[in-house]
Amino acid sequence: MSNSILEGAAAAGPARSAAATTTAATTTVMSMQQALNRALDEVLAENPQAVIFGEDCGRLGGVFRITDGLQAKHGEQRVFDTPLAESGILGMSVGLAMAGFHPIPEVQFDGFAYPAINQIVCQIARMNYRSRGTMPMPITLRVPSFGGIRAPEHHGESLEALFAHVPGLKVVSPSNPHEAYHLLKYAATRPDPVIFMEPKSRYWQKGDVDLAHCDADGGDPTGAKVMREGRHLTLVAWGAMVARCLQVAELAAEDGIDIEVLDLRWLKPIDAEALAASVRKTRRAVVVHEAPLTSGLGAEVAQLITQSCFDTLKAPVERVTGFDVPYPSGDLEDEYIPNIDRILFGIQRVLEYKRG
Amino acid sequence: MAEISFPLPDLGEGLIEATVLEWLVAPGDQVERNQPLVEVETTKSAVELPSPQAGKVVRIHGGPGDKINVGEPLIVFEVPDNTAGIVGTVPKEEAPKRRVRLSAVLDED
Repeated sequence: MSNSILEGAAAAGPARSAAATTTAATTTVMSMQQALNRALDEVLAENPQAVIFGEDCGRLGGVFRITDGLQAKHGEQRVFDTPLAESGILGMSVGLAMAGFHPIPEVQFDGFAYPAINQIVCQIARMNYRSRGTMPMPITLRVPSFGGIRAPEHHGESLEALFAHVPGLKVVSPSNPHEAYHLLKYAATRPDPVIFMEPKSRYWQKGDVDLAHCDADGGDPTGAKVMREGRHLTLVAWGAMVARCLQVAELAAEDGIDIEVLDLRWLKPIDAEALAASVRKTRRAVVVHEAPLTSGLGAEVAQLITQSCFDTLKAPVERVTGFDVPYPSGDLEDEYIPNIDRILFGIQRVLEYKRG
Repeated sequence: MAEISFPLPDLGEGLIEATVLEWLVAPGDQVERNQPLVEVETTKSAVELPSPQAGKVVRIHGGPGDKINVGEPLIVFEVPDNTAGIVGTVPKEEAPKRRVRLSAVLDED
């Protein structure tokens, strides 16, 4: 992402309007890792019930350095290391939430969430329901997610459809540093359990973060967000795939195709209205995700679009996704994760679709 | 940039310390993975320790003759943020040299 807001203000000089100056004053350039770290720091300062824990989260500051320096600043009672046992990390979260805390546990890598599925699905997701609303589970579970870092097995997975399928859980994934800061701060104030899926391949990409304003309308960071406006086709994505779709949109523009990129942000609940509003305009849609095709979230998105835009769609909603194989490790993931050409092929299939 | 500390590993079975004989690198040096870092002597033998990773040497601990306990810091590397402490790397993002071209007749109805 470019530094356009800051550069724009500097280039315009002192004659620039007051509004632009205000925007520049609250905007800073940081990486997603720094944005998440800052958000957690502020959550700890603002909410005395918030506690952060996980494997290596304390002294080391996490393998991705998301909790870097937080133990030194806020103390070992509030930021601490756990044994290497995900079922214990999430089981302890249930108890802490019952006792009035706001746990912010980390599962070190997405593939390590599987041993804690029982605690997540059978306890965290339904304790509020089971207790008739007397035991809410305000738990923000941070999961470094998706591929893109050529890691070994279990270190790159796309679990969004798994979590989104469980009643009682909310699921969200930020696509850039700005979104990461605001979505994490928002998620950490929710009374419900939120699975916060951080795209680990984007941790070090820098971008403008407007600390004071999340969205242009000034509202809560709920729902989807149009990251690039376009007329001919809507690309729907989340997490790390948003940046790739924005790149594809720029290339498509060279070929005369004007593409809208919709960052879904919340994967449960999905913003059906935003999907409808975008595709009603463009009349074509391609959904892109890293997870395998079958029963992936792309199917849900395609259905929501079809439901609202069936009469005006120019072509069936296309899905560009990972394959129905275990998430490959190392360099092999380059063949698995949707790349620029596969997304362009998906767009082309929609563009050349003929009815009848 | 981030720093990664490499502690003295157990060089035998249950050894608790080693004595530094000679440093083969100095602060400021850029080292490669497996490059010899230091020669140390244990109660069993004198060995050269290869570098566990590439990086720039920031600090070294202990001079010739000093004893270092297993698990205590031996050397600190400086590495780019995007390789700090993770089990992978992020491939560089580049504009494609060749790519699929789109073609469409768009009726603006």
